[in-house]
Amino acid sequence: MKAKAITLNVNGRRHQVTLFPNVTLLEALRDLNYTDVKNGCEKGDCGACAVELNGRIINSCLVLAWQADGARILTNAGLGTMESPHPLQEAFADAGAVQCGYCTSGMIIAAKALLDENPNPSETEIREAISGNLCRCTGYSQIINAVQMTAEKMMQQKAQE
Amino acid sequence: MLPEFELLMPRTLPEALEMMDESSKVMPLAGGTNLLVDLRGRLSRPQTLINIGGLDELRGVRVEDGYIVVGSAATIADLKRNALIAKHGQALRQAATVFANPLIRNRATIGGNLAYGSPAADAAPPLLVLGAEVELLSKDTRRTVPLEEFITGVRKTVRHPRELITAIRWPIPPEGSVGVFRKLGLRKADAISVLSIAVMLLHMDTGDCDQLRIALGAVAPTPIRAAAAEDLLDGGPLTPEVIAQAAQLASEATQAIGDIRGSAAYRKRVITALVQRLLTNLAKDTKEKKH
Amino acid sequence: MTAKGKALPRLDLPPLRQVGRPLRRVDALGKAVGTTVYAGDFTMPDMLHAKVFRSSEPSAHIKQLNVNKARALPGVACVLTADDLPDGKLITDMPGQTGQERRKESDAPVLAARGVRFVGEPIALVAAETLAIAEQALKLIEIEYEVLPGVFDPLEAIKPGAPIIHKPDNIVASWKIRKGNAEAGLAAADLIVENTFRVPFIDHAYIEPEAGVAWMDDQDVINIRVCTQVVEHFRSIAQAVGVPHNKVHVRGTMIGGGFGGKEDITVEIFLALLTKETRRPVRLAYTREESILAHSKRHPFIITHRTGVKNNGRITGAKINMISDSGAYPYLSPYVLLYATVTSCGPYRIDNLTVDSVSVATNNPFASAFRGFGGAQAAVAYEQQMDEMAKALAMDPLELRKINYLKTGDFNAIGQQIKSAIWLEEEATQALAALGKKESVSDDAIKIGQGFATTMQSYGRIMWFHDTSRSWVGIEQDGTIVVRCGAPDLGAGQANSLCLIAAEVLGVSLTDVTFYNSDSAVTPLAGTTTATRQLYMSGNATLKAAKMVREVLLDRAAQHFREKPNNLDLADNKVFIKSDPQQWLSLADLSKMCAVDGLKLQHLALFAAPFADKLNPENLQGDIFPDFTFSAHAIEVAVDTKTGEITVLKSVGCHDVGRAINPIAVEGQIQGGSAQGIGYALMEEVQVRDGVTRTPSLSEFLIPTAKDLPTTRAIILESGTGVGPFGAKGIGEPALTPAAPAVANAVANAIGVRIHNLPLTPERVLAALDRAKRG
Repeated sequence: MKAKAITLNVNGRRHQVTLFPNVTLLEALRDLNYTDVKNGCEKGDCGACAVELNGRIINSCLVLAWQADGARILTNAGLGTMESPHPLQEAFADAGAVQCGYCTSGMIIAAKALLDENPNPSETEIREAISGNLCRCTGYSQIINAVQMTAEKMMQQKAQE
Repeated sequence: MLPEFELLMPRTLPEALEMMDESSKVMPLAGGTNLLVDLRGRLSRPQTLINIGGLDELRGVRVEDGYIVVGSAATIADLKRNALIAKHGQALRQAATVFANPLIRNRATIGGNLAYGSPAADAAPPLLVLGAEVELLSKDTRRTVPLEEFITGVRKTVRHPRELITAIRWPIPPEGSVGVFRKLGLRKADAISVLSIAVMLLHMDTGDCDQLRIALGAVAPTPIRAAAAEDLLDGGPLTPEVIAQAAQLASEATQAIGDIRGSAAYRKRVITALVQRLLTNLAKDTKEKKH
Repeated sequence: MTAKGKALPRLDLPPLRQVGRPLRRVDALGKAVGTTVYAGDFTMPDMLHAKVFRSSEPSAHIKQLNVNKARALPGVACVLTADDLPDGKLITDMPGQTGQERRKESDAPVLAARGVRFVGEPIALVAAETLAIAEQALKLIEIEYEVLPGVFDPLEAIKPGAPIIHKPDNIVASWKIRKGNAEAGLAAADLIVENTFRVPFIDHAYIEPEAGVAWMDDQDVINIRVCTQVVEHFRSIAQAVGVPHNKVHVRGTMIGGGFGGKEDITVEIFLALLTKETRRPVRLAYTREESILAHSKRHPFIITHRTGVKNNGRITGAKINMISDSGAYPYLSPYVLLYATVTSCGPYRIDNLTVDSVSVATNNPFASAFRGFGGAQAAVAYEQQMDEMAKALAMDPLELRKINYLKTGDFNAIGQQIKSAIWLEEEATQALAALGKKESVSDDAIKIGQGFATTMQSYGRIMWFHDTSRSWVGIEQDGTIVVRCGAPDLGAGQANSLCLIAAEVLGVSLTDVTFYNSDSAVTPLAGTTTATRQLYMSGNATLKAAKMVREVLLDRAAQHFREKPNNLDLADNKVFIKSDPQQWLSLADLSKMCAVDGLKLQHLALFAAPFADKLNPENLQGDIFPDFTFSAHAIEVAVDTKTGEITVLKSVGCHDVGRAINPIAVEGQIQGGSAQGIGYALMEEVQVRDGVTRTPSLSEFLIPTAKDLPTTRAIILESGTGVGPFGAKGIGEPALTPAAPAVANAVANAIGVRIHNLPLTPERVLAALDRAKRG
């Protein structure tokens, strides 16, 4: 097994890393301290490791780091910060959508992917969009509220612009 | 952690076929949603993986000589939003919408779903009723295998280790044809099928009677066509009696086994019930359409 | 079912400024932007990676264990087996308390020495330079088993001649209730209804698998950063590792879900042993599969109710029998069984009652705490039994319940007087009203059903444990507040509630409060985050400490304003004269004044729950819990009678929470708890055959996705009669308890026949319909 130098573009930052082929994108991201990307099952069952890869949400545990060489990767932490949170992050905090928080980063990335495609989703569409992200604390309702709140807010902002 | 392996990253299809030809211990890697899970569980131990997911030659859906041709590395999400699939592969589109979950759908490929050879592959029953063929390419050979002959047993296919699935193709169904897919899982998203059913009504504009095709998943070592049921339905009107009988025949075509998700008897019974329901709905819809 | 209830008594709750408002939780934004650091996120310089070698046999003698090859592997720092341990036993006790007895020789060993009793039992530990090397080392461990006959069914395990898991027999615990004369009560009945209900093993399936990192410091203290519900395990850890109690320091992190599964020790002792041996930092994180293998499960129960009832609906007597499968080691099984026993007949007055319950050892995965802690299993049985009785009497299920509900001042099954409000009738009525009319369907194959359940679930620990909590509140010289309290935060908002209470009492906003929690050495010990006790216990301790600070502030301000302290109040970061709010002083200035005077601006308070003596296991009689939360949940389902598929259409939870400290968090508990209850009813089961789990990951052990649930409407009632701060009751566990039986009752209502075993799989639905057809 030979290591190779690859480039991971994460949240707008370029990382040159030399990795073995059997390293998953999840492992690579966490080693680069993107610890908002969580390890919950390593087989695509829970969605805690969800990130955007070239604009599509995926389970980073089921992608090899080499397969992401040169791709655009976006994690929840790339959306906003404590000082300047993304509207989804803000809404999640306000709506009670965050309990233990372990599913939250994956959930927000899934919600963001939905709103990118569909700025005004129905409850059914939201449930579908987050159906690959397990949450054991909330029963999902406040998460759905948060997504709806964000959609409304973002549409209002757009209307004002 | 994943076990050790070599990973080759071809940039073109010929390059990939060249790499496939070099050893028999290679395994193509596309979406990885099954393969990486198996590698991690040490259920599969290839020495070398060949990453074909990014090959442009294997993407896309196109019309070719009266066929719909789907690149093997088209993802399930690609199928879900493709207009050609919506029109000419209705049951497949429906399967794509209930396939695993949105994250998996963005990675899993149609070729991978078939190559894995699972009896529960959700893309298989729709493709069976569409009469799909699998296009296999190696460095020196090219062949097309009907899907019914492609999967030969649980996790077994006729794909030679040096071959790649490059495309899945099926004849464009006649205008007015209808396809439906129904899966039963133990929850409403991200569930392995306890059983699945695809039914297709091929509208014969030649004046011949419409043809019905029925395929079943997760109830035999491979996804299967319910031939006896199809024969019974062939040519005749869809009366409740015929439908009931066909549903029974479909169930008899299964070789269901029991596992953690359900018993063999349950599977057989629900096949009967759901085939009956799908055919009844189909009969109702076509009747309504004619009126 | 009728939807007309009596009016609730009018309450005169004091107006509060922060409590009861839907404020953003103090921990929410960090989690939302992904900066909160969880146990598995920590790394340290020179850190080793650990793995655990586990049994593949459910019942075997270890003939030979050879770790030499693993030790010789380059990069392996250390391999430990039972031979290397100072004391083999893991103390699976209720930590930090007094008054309980343990069955000798049945504690789980840290590492198996001579034999193994379940698949997944730890046998050896490896620490290596990389995770890959540690995994490789596991493969080099050689073990030879002599397979012994095992027993996998509690009903088999109590038969004479069954393999004995721990001497002298397989009965891990037993409790009895003898109240009145059950025989006579049954004899006086017009009708006797008997049913046996079963519930399965289930997994907590928190999204965060167990993880931790440990290191030794310059004082030879073993530091363990870990996700745990119980930082006070430090004592047990110290004992197992063979160091004094003050040489183990547990630093709890924010927890990615617990639900009881992180109540027992998980990775801590392994980490402590390895770091002590190597004197290097060590990290151990379970994979999902290892988590499912290694941690406790919810107990399966077999519960039989034989209930006598008059034609008018009055219950005359009942005999209840409960058997739980404790798995291979007892852990908290005796107490889980105790909870189930105490609530076995539900919130109903039954004067003639006999309850016999046993917990039985098997070679299955071990069972221990899980949200609801026996009370949830009991409710699945008693609430289905109530519906079956109503059906047999041809009576409305709510009417039957109303006749038998406990009322405030009544004595429960074990003779404890209930002093707080019991609003079951109102809760059921409101929940059913919110459910509304059944949806109509055109398809004959689809049957719609509605059902509800009303339950009681304790909050606060068993009183003979003599539970206490401590909290420290201080005001800084700029008027900001610090709360220090050892309570671990599971994600349910435990820390936030404490901050809210301090903010309320000291007249600041929530954002002015900073908290430090979940540390066994640095924050005051606050006990476990279990048993729905933190708001009650640490909430009261925080309230007390904050009031002590408030008193100092008001006394000093009184001097300043030449007013009586009673005439002053704190709000908006100010102290002011109530009758003349224009006269005010900032809290910052006031606390500086206090500091100049050398006044005590930081207070540590202890809250002690009411203590009681241990009850007699041969006949439980007396006080056992500080109080109960009474709840209702109503459900509407659609059942496909051709496939057996169940869809939950509507869900309403109605709970008297005493006082909603943070309404959004309460709603979140009700929605999240009921989601777990619905999962319990419909799909969750750790399937175990011959001791081997057939559902080893989250693709086989299914929990609800967003598509499996409707939005649960949370109706929050506030009687103000709880024993928590501001009259609050607990909601963590009570949120779950009524949901599963409500689903079961709705399904029975839809299809006209009872399914006695959870989960209600499609296959079981069809089997029940077949039985009904056969008659």
